[in-house]
Amino acid sequence: MNRPRHILVTGATQGIGLALAKHYLQQGDVVVGCGRGESTLDHPHYTHACLDVTDEPAVRRLFKEIRSRLGCLDALINNAGIASMNPIALTPFETAQRIMGTNFLGTFLFTHAAIRLLRTSGSGRIVNVTSIAVPLRLEGEAIYAASKSATATFTRITAREVGQFGITCNAVGPSPVRTRLTESVPEDKIEALIARQAVPRWANPADVANVVDFFLKPESGMVTGQVVYLGGYG
Amino acid sequence: MEVPQIREVVLQAIERINLARRPKDRLEVSANAPIFGPGSGLDSLGLVALLIEVEEALQDAGHDVTLSDARAMSQTQSPFRDVPSLVAFIASLMAEAR
Repeated sequence: MNRPRHILVTGATQGIGLALAKHYLQQGDVVVGCGRGESTLDHPHYTHACLDVTDEPAVRRLFKEIRSRLGCLDALINNAGIASMNPIALTPFETAQRIMGTNFLGTFLFTHAAIRLLRTSGSGRIVNVTSIAVPLRLEGEAIYAASKSATATFTRITAREVGQFGITCNAVGPSPVRTRLTESVPEDKIEALIARQAVPRWANPADVANVVDFFLKPESGMVTGQVVYLGGYG
Repeated sequence: MEVPQIREVVLQAIERINLARRPKDRLEVSANAPIFGPGSGLDSLGLVALLIEVEEALQDAGHDVTLSDARAMSQTQSPFRDVPSLVAFIASLMAEAR
């Protein structure tokens, strides 16, 4: 490819999404980020859209703008995610809807729109972010884990549907990374989880970026429908 | 965009899809041709490819239309079953957008 890659990152305002946006800007890519809040990222190759990933008209406007400005997309990283750690009996319906909306339906909405632009790339990549909460089946995380489980299944089926366009679709499932999402979980609970990992340490955004880099490589065209968990789960 | 122009966009998209299909699998290119279901060799993935071609051609002409519909796979109600139903569906989406 004799031009910078065009990469769209959802949930790019903070945490892993922000780290991924910075990572790809450092590699010379053109990055479009989105999130509910304004971005602190100031880079000539970065543009930010303030939107909720479940706001369909706003998402359509974003893709229309990307199409007219960039022409095509090389990678979509569906990173936007929220959590509310609560036992099922204490989880309000509205909270469950919000988590499923952002974590799963947002991923669907962006994938649906991105297939059109990724096809033009010739080697389009979709990377979804799931979680080690899926294989761990932790009590108190049912809705969050279910939304990420839905994302993992969606990843595998998307891979089959978009393969005809030369697009791959994979997922990365981070073990605990210090972000606003994990801040809401008691430290002792997280430490207990980390102790169960084959590699018992906190993950860094760079560990996540490493897996995403692999999925995005041109040589990874035959790697699709895979879910890679960090830390030795799975 | 009027119905005859929409039909032309659809027929040109079918022609482009046909370029990637084996001669025996090529779709009929005519105003009343079947697209998806009985009488057509197009499977669901092939349908997706065709509809994305149509969407892109419409976008190039300045019309932001998304061809998603819950009845897509219905044998009797799919708006994608033949050229006339697809053209009518696109025209209705454009009318809604106005």
